[in-house]
Amino acid sequence: MRERTKYMWAGYLCVLPALVLVVVLLLIPMLQNLYYSFTSWDCIGVPQWIGLDNYKELLNDSNFFVSFRNTVIWVAATLLLPVLGGLLIAIFIREIKGGNIFKSIIFFPLAISFVSTGIIWMNMFTSNGGVLNGLLSLALGEEVTIRWLTEAPRNTYSMIAAWTWQQTGTNMVLFLMGLTTIPRDPVEAATIDGANKWQSFRYVTVPMLQPITTVVIAQALVNSFKTFDLIYVITRGGPYRSTETLAVTMYRESFTMFRMGYGASIAVVLSVIIIVISGFYVRRQISKDQLYY
Amino acid sequence: MEKEIKKKHEKNNIFTYRSFIYLFMLIAAIAWITPLYFSFLTAFKSSTDFASQQFYELPTSFAFFQNIAEVFDRYRFDEHVLSSLLYMGGGGTLCIMFACLAGYGIVRLKPKGNFILFMLIYSGTIFPFQMYLIPLFKFYNNVGLYNTRLGIVLVFTAITIPFALFVYRGFFVTIPRAIEDAARIDGAGPFKSFLLVFVPQAAAPTAVVMLFQWSWIWNDLLFGMVLSRSNNVRPIMVALASMSGTGGSSITLQMTGVLITSIPTVILFLTLKKHFIAGMSGATSLK
Repeated sequence: MRERTKYMWAGYLCVLPALVLVVVLLLIPMLQNLYYSFTSWDCIGVPQWIGLDNYKELLNDSNFFVSFRNTVIWVAATLLLPVLGGLLIAIFIREIKGGNIFKSIIFFPLAISFVSTGIIWMNMFTSNGGVLNGLLSLALGEEVTIRWLTEAPRNTYSMIAAWTWQQTGTNMVLFLMGLTTIPRDPVEAATIDGANKWQSFRYVTVPMLQPITTVVIAQALVNSFKTFDLIYVITRGGPYRSTETLAVTMYRESFTMFRMGYGASIAVVLSVIIIVISGFYVRRQISKDQLYY
Repeated sequence: MEKEIKKKHEKNNIFTYRSFIYLFMLIAAIAWITPLYFSFLTAFKSSTDFASQQFYELPTSFAFFQNIAEVFDRYRFDEHVLSSLLYMGGGGTLCIMFACLAGYGIVRLKPKGNFILFMLIYSGTIFPFQMYLIPLFKFYNNVGLYNTRLGIVLVFTAITIPFALFVYRGFFVTIPRAIEDAARIDGAGPFKSFLLVFVPQAAAPTAVVMLFQWSWIWNDLLFGMVLSRSNNVRPIMVALASMSGTGGSSITLQMTGVLITSIPTVILFLTLKKHFIAGMSGATSLK
């Protein structure tokens, strides 16, 4: 019994440093942020309680509306390009010789930061002297001056291209892992039964990929909702706040315009969306883990 | 006869299918390599070359090293790189120590309420970083941690602990009880058996944590931007980001910055690549 108590206290002692850091620097700030979202505060004075006014203002704020719409575009495009594209590439890589070379090429940008990715793609998209317009000019034989980054909504799509370049590798690698765990027998059985490639993909491979697909989609959704670095580097959210997403708007309201209360309420909205989406996944993950516990 | 025709037809089909895939992958590969190629090309040019030449022309002189010197000199990259290395070393080491200890405590010593303790720490991965920025900014200003290296190390440690704990917890549950019991019979207490029995076996989870958390710390922009303002504290990505945008530097210098600041993470990924999948498959909540 005394031994048991000793081990229990040792257990608490082991957890203590991690717990203190996380509680003091993450969990308490999280609750404080929730409180600030109900206040008006310019960072210098004392926060004034204003109830739901920040949230009401969000509903009538056209900048917030644009930001919210852009965020939805980012999320939808992420599912379409890096996720679906990653799946396609993973399948194709397994079908051909030399697939590993392609795998390394697509994977490589993952080792590069979002800031660097932003600068690399700014060089591509700049309308004057940018690589993309230069290549198009060469191909078409006339001067091309498409304004990739200054006209909405094209600027958001341009940045999504940069995002796709950086993110497809993650999903590809995860799908490749999922594909290797699928046994050959069911696919062969389907082929013998007369299924063509599409049918065996649709009715055998896709259902068996389900677990990894959940991981990929949950992760891609959460990451695309939080997009910040890339936009901050490439356009700073401009011109005229046309490319802001929720994360960028939150930063701008809080640390450029010092409307801390309002910024806090945007952070809360972003959190609620992310928690609702990832909640489903996290619950699944943990209930699965507990089998070993 | 008919069978042969069918066979031939199938072969043709497969042939066109294969060539479609090759074509698709080739286009993708070109699309992926083009931005990298022009990044190198731009970084190797002097600003006069860049202004006078077509974008695809090779530089008349190899200006990469002059560019590096200028980036370090004008944008104080030496200070920023040093700070970021400190943050990787300090934050990463503290994160590994604390998370490994906490994982051991929660899984192997099983104090009362261990699952709640785990969830409390793990919940740090659920919220987007935006949720912490304003209160941290205020708190750091109040206690004098704003714009200090210690402050940045602490926040990086706290941010990276939850995922690291998740990884270590997954590792500790796989170790058989018998090993621990043997150590206990030999008279080892809880901390002794942690150090002598568990730590030596924790190389794989530590590699996962190192790959993800070091590259995250090196690549962070947001916290560095919000919680610091002077050159000797701001991490490298903040300096790199400040080179872009209006009033920023020339694209040749920016690209030089991109190449040199990518070296640490590329090395990390090359050496620890095989741990990437292990981390990803359990890491939806990772930034």
